[in-house]
Amino acid sequence: MGLRNFFDRIEPNFTKGGKWEKLFPIYEMVESFLYTPKTVTTAAPHARSYIDMKRIMTYVVIATIPCILFGLYNTGLQVNTALGAYEATGWRVAVLEFLGIGFDPSNPLVNMAHGLLYFLPIYITTLVVGGIWEVIFATVRGHEVNEGFLVTSMLYALIVPASIPLWQVALGISFGVVIGKEVFGGTGKNFLNPALTGRAFLYFAYPAYMSGDSIWTPVDGFSGATALSISASSGFDQLAANGMEWMDAFIGTIQGSFGETSTLACMIGLAFLLITKIANWRLVLGCMAGMVSFSLLLNAIGSDSNPMFAMPWYWHLVTGGFAFGLVFMVTEPVSASHTNAGRYIYGALIGFMVVMIRVINPAFPEGMMLAILFGNVFAPLIDHFVVQANIKRRAKRYV
Amino acid sequence: MSEQTNKGAIRRFLEASPDSTGKTLFVAVALCLCASMIVSAAAVALRPTQEANKLKDKQINILQVAGLYEPGMDITEAFGASFEPRVLELATGRFTDQFDVAEFDDRAAADDPATSIKLDEDPASIGRQSKYMTVYLLKDAAGAVDKVILPLHGYGLWSTLYGFIAVEENGNDIFGLQFYSHAETPGLGAEVDNPRWKAQWQGKRLTDDSGELQITVAKTAPAAGKEFHVDALSGATLTSAGVDNLVRFWMGETGYAPFLANLKAGDI
Amino acid sequence: MAQTRREMLLDPLVDNNPITLQVLGICSALAVTSSLKVALVMTIAVTLVTAFSSMFISVLRNQIPSSIRIIVQMVIIASLVILVDQVLKAYAFEISKTLSVFVGLIITNCIVMGRAEAFAMKNPPVASFIDGIGNGLGYGLILMLVGFVRELFGAGSLFGVTILETVNNGGWYVPNGMLLLPPSAFFIIGLLIWAFRSWKPEQVEAREHKIQVVEAH
Repeated sequence: MGLRNFFDRIEPNFTKGGKWEKLFPIYEMVESFLYTPKTVTTAAPHARSYIDMKRIMTYVVIATIPCILFGLYNTGLQVNTALGAYEATGWRVAVLEFLGIGFDPSNPLVNMAHGLLYFLPIYITTLVVGGIWEVIFATVRGHEVNEGFLVTSMLYALIVPASIPLWQVALGISFGVVIGKEVFGGTGKNFLNPALTGRAFLYFAYPAYMSGDSIWTPVDGFSGATALSISASSGFDQLAANGMEWMDAFIGTIQGSFGETSTLACMIGLAFLLITKIANWRLVLGCMAGMVSFSLLLNAIGSDSNPMFAMPWYWHLVTGGFAFGLVFMVTEPVSASHTNAGRYIYGALIGFMVVMIRVINPAFPEGMMLAILFGNVFAPLIDHFVVQANIKRRAKRYV
Repeated sequence: MSEQTNKGAIRRFLEASPDSTGKTLFVAVALCLCASMIVSAAAVALRPTQEANKLKDKQINILQVAGLYEPGMDITEAFGASFEPRVLELATGRFTDQFDVAEFDDRAAADDPATSIKLDEDPASIGRQSKYMTVYLLKDAAGAVDKVILPLHGYGLWSTLYGFIAVEENGNDIFGLQFYSHAETPGLGAEVDNPRWKAQWQGKRLTDDSGELQITVAKTAPAAGKEFHVDALSGATLTSAGVDNLVRFWMGETGYAPFLANLKAGDI
Repeated sequence: MAQTRREMLLDPLVDNNPITLQVLGICSALAVTSSLKVALVMTIAVTLVTAFSSMFISVLRNQIPSSIRIIVQMVIIASLVILVDQVLKAYAFEISKTLSVFVGLIITNCIVMGRAEAFAMKNPPVASFIDGIGNGLGYGLILMLVGFVRELFGAGSLFGVTILETVNNGGWYVPNGMLLLPPSAFFIIGLLIWAFRSWKPEQVEAREHKIQVVEAH
């Protein structure tokens, strides 16, 4: 336990009166990341549970692992496949050649190595820049750096396209952390999902880098549309003509942001979160129900001019960020509704809005991000009405 | 009492309580009269300048699309020296003298059932199309037609785009395209105003040798060849599609095709 | 009179700013700040309208029947706004095209009505005029700050003069498209309010609700 001793030795420097008193949040962050907090309850009722904030966040990070692994594989796969037709340039190519890994798209490990070279710079930038903001606010406000940021940074890195410039990564996470979370008082007080806030900022600030055909696979000259943009422009029945079967979209070997393409990987994460009861099943059920029922309704209405009307719900499920958003964003406990009845409504609202934006809004082919942010904004209102209804009902009972 | 009678009627009025019914009415009427007089005086006095501004604005756009505009030039003179406005009957492709050119208003004509048709096939989403349009002929020193400036409009993503296209005297080569009014997304669709994008139009051709309309705004060049292709705006799929639709519509049979055919034949 | 004229003129700039403290006139602040030129013209227009409407209302203040006073104020303000609109259309056509309906909407700008009702109805004409100028400038100051950020980072230029050459024109700067959309002004105004209140903590409002720890029985 040499490390424990080290922490115990340096701790007095950071506690009240110590010479680095102001840096306590940083010390606390590192220490509590490695060890269970030492704080114990001091008064009744001494409620104890193995689960605390830190464990919840750790579990969410664990749940993203299938998405990360598959995202690395798919990014590498898409790049390596595209490289066959285009010239390979850049430092990643040099590294891969130096290590003798090569660019064989049929070898999963080779693909993952290439994907890693795209993911790591983005993730590290996110951690460093977002971490700096966290520490600044923690130090100024005197609270602790929250592990929530680990989740935020992981989710954020998984929902950006592979070709994104790193300075945009930095700007986006700064906006997400500061405007999406810290201005409201930090983790637990934010009503927006910080990762999505950052993504939305990038989407509106640099739309050419966030939507379009040439951004998902970062190879010069290569252009590959996402399933949703093909559906929006020429109809979802054209997907097969573009070599996209439902199974491809479900497994995730299609164009898209890092972690979003594989519905299968998201579902594994969802199973884990549901079993550990981190995610509330009511949110998931509400969201699925909203999406399925509204897309069935649109199927029934039909439209001559808008091919998206005909898109069936099982395609909505596997395209764009729906699955990823459903598993990791809709279920996020802070920004969702907090009442059980409210959770159904909140989920259904998001499910409805996704289809609404995807199908009816002409400007945005993808709607999950906007739908969730929309839901976030409405969550407190939904809770308010649920609570009021409850109060009224009970008041009637005890007149 | 005696004190009050010493004051004049106006003084008495001013000192009366403002809340009496008579005074309330008086203030309301007087204020409305005053305000309306000032406002209408200003409107009447400034109208000629405003009308001149509107005309000048249109003329600047026409000069720009014809590549003749220079900052600081005398617009009215430059315009009058080189352009001849004519009212064109679209169906026949012939000029008509039914209307006074200076008075004719394309947009008003499009709303009037007598001078417009309701479109069944409406790729540019304009609803009603005027049967007559004001076009501008750019003449060279010898008085021969050098270019024609044709107004066009159609729906993009959020708004109707209004603009002009300048076509060479052979009726097939594009000299330029410019929109003067639209409300597309800044930074994406609004890049239709970007000089670098607009420059692409110069030298493109409308129809191929067999007379088939080929010009298109798309991400990739069509089979017909690069001289018919203008690159779509990156990130603005729907605005690009809108521009594609409206240009193809106006250059097509229901648009200026008859006129351009006459122009090509040297018969206008 | 508690305030000196100097205070009347300068107070609304920071200490009692109509946008950041009173949070009035936000609508037009979103709409007209995507370029500095337009923001400047709007500033001048609002300043003139506020100053002159306050002055005229103050001149008439003892004659205005209280039952129709809001309507009277509206008539005076509306006439002035139409005047400004007409003059702009005649002498600054380009700018009036970009400002479009927002000149007309000065009528509904709460700052103008607010000053008329709160100040001009109780104070003499010269003071009202100065108060109107001050509030117009306070509004304009925020407009210019927001316009500066939005035009510089959204379009790479200031007053239409290119400062940062954008990628679309062959330069290096990737413009931030969100800043060209009206909602971005919300963020900038919000950040300005944050900055103002950190600088002058007396502007921070008292909390409406306080979280209290109640002793359990």
